[in-house]
Amino acid sequence: MVYLDYAATSPLLHEAIKAMREAEQRFFANASALHTPGHLSLNKIEETRELLAQLINAEPDEIIFTSGASESNNTVIRTFEGHKIITSPLEHHSIIETAKALGGKKTPALYSYMLANNEIGEFLPIKDIVKKARKEGGFVHSDLTQVLGKLPIDVKALDLDYATFSAHKIGGPIGVGALYVRNGVPFKPLIIGGNQEKKRRGTTYNTVGIIGFGAALKYVAEHKTWEIYDTKIRTLRDELARRILKEIPGSSLNTDLKNSLPNILNASFEAAEGESIQLYLDAEGIIVSTGSACASGDIKPSHVLMAKTGDAEVAHSSIRFSFGLGNTKEDIDKVMEVLPGVIDRLQKISTLERKKK
Amino acid sequence: MNEGQDWVYSDIVKDHFLNPRNFLFGDESKFKYDAVGLVGNPICGDQMKMYIKVKDDKIIDLRWKTYGCASAIASTSALSELAKGKTLDEAMKITAKDIDNYLGNLPKHKFHCSILGHEALEDAIKNYRSKIARTKISSL
Repeated sequence: MVYLDYAATSPLLHEAIKAMREAEQRFFANASALHTPGHLSLNKIEETRELLAQLINAEPDEIIFTSGASESNNTVIRTFEGHKIITSPLEHHSIIETAKALGGKKTPALYSYMLANNEIGEFLPIKDIVKKARKEGGFVHSDLTQVLGKLPIDVKALDLDYATFSAHKIGGPIGVGALYVRNGVPFKPLIIGGNQEKKRRGTTYNTVGIIGFGAALKYVAEHKTWEIYDTKIRTLRDELARRILKEIPGSSLNTDLKNSLPNILNASFEAAEGESIQLYLDAEGIIVSTGSACASGDIKPSHVLMAKTGDAEVAHSSIRFSFGLGNTKEDIDKVMEVLPGVIDRLQKISTLERKKK
Repeated sequence: MNEGQDWVYSDIVKDHFLNPRNFLFGDESKFKYDAVGLVGNPICGDQMKMYIKVKDDKIIDLRWKTYGCASAIASTSALSELAKGKTLDEAMKITAKDIDNYLGNLPKHKFHCSILGHEALEDAIKNYRSKIARTKISSL
């Protein structure tokens, strides 16, 4: 299998599996309890908190563990219920839809801009947003889900008030995330009814999951994975982009290779529909994702591609290849053995004409 | 890993998607047809074209083209099997439900967007009939 859907989720790192297996047996006790097994569990949770804090240059008590990026995003937006909430059109649905439902006119405003988008990898102008927000006394949240491990992160240097993280994009388990909340900024808990996370998020600690997250964070920090992404992975991504443009008629890139995360490549193929491309590739053991409406069970295609291109055909015909640490040069060769034939076949049975050569 | 039951669609859908029947590959001129019908819109993600060859009021052969998702391709392929050899009246009566039954039921959210082929077929038959009517009038 050639797995190129790391931006959706990444396989568990061996280190995370090992740590969680051990945790299931040794750290099962409720981490809020005063007894020794409980306290040992809490210590492991705090280890992860410190790891993440160090990695992003925050204080440990500025980190709250959550169930994932969507919860982290929701928590921040809900804190600003009734306030002006300004988001980029490229945000995740957990931002856009919550902001639409809860936004109002009160000040101060909240700006929510991701540092890099998940579908096309594009960088957003976060520095300009921070500047703008500071001028009017607003607050800034950034969804860093795709960025963790791919770039070095310094929340102090970025001057963020809130930031969202997820474990499963870096080889940790699904169901664990974190929220950075700068000391002294407004905060409203999403889950009330417990003293966990200093009363900022109720619910029994997900000890095993958080320990798995910790193992993945340790891997990221020790291997400086952002350096591997910037070199090896970027080379693979750029090579696939080059070969697609050269070898597949009617292809175009939705990712700006010079202004994007090094592991994401989004391309469109004229007259070929995304879900069909995805499933023909799947039948050959190549795993990718698409911005086509059909794939999501939605009526509309990807809001990100629509915002970027304004062209529904381009969005319906798009494929995202997202790379991770496990990918090799051979993966690119395998994709390029199969993809041109798939596109050619779909273009030949298509009602649409290919315009580009 | 690619066993039918692990797949998003049923085995029959998968088969019609991976091995579509009666499709028109490449240039339209490769198939001599009497009428053609079109339905759908690429903006919505699905478009189908049906080419029919008619003799003695029967569809003796047909081809199709589709821009669309896997279930759109599979459902057009299934329709082409259902319609082949039918009289025009019989073919007009083929419904989306018939195609869905033939395929062993598509996921619910796919039903409306991807089963459009019968409308393309209806369109083709209507075009054929008005063409015949025109020929009759002009030969009067």
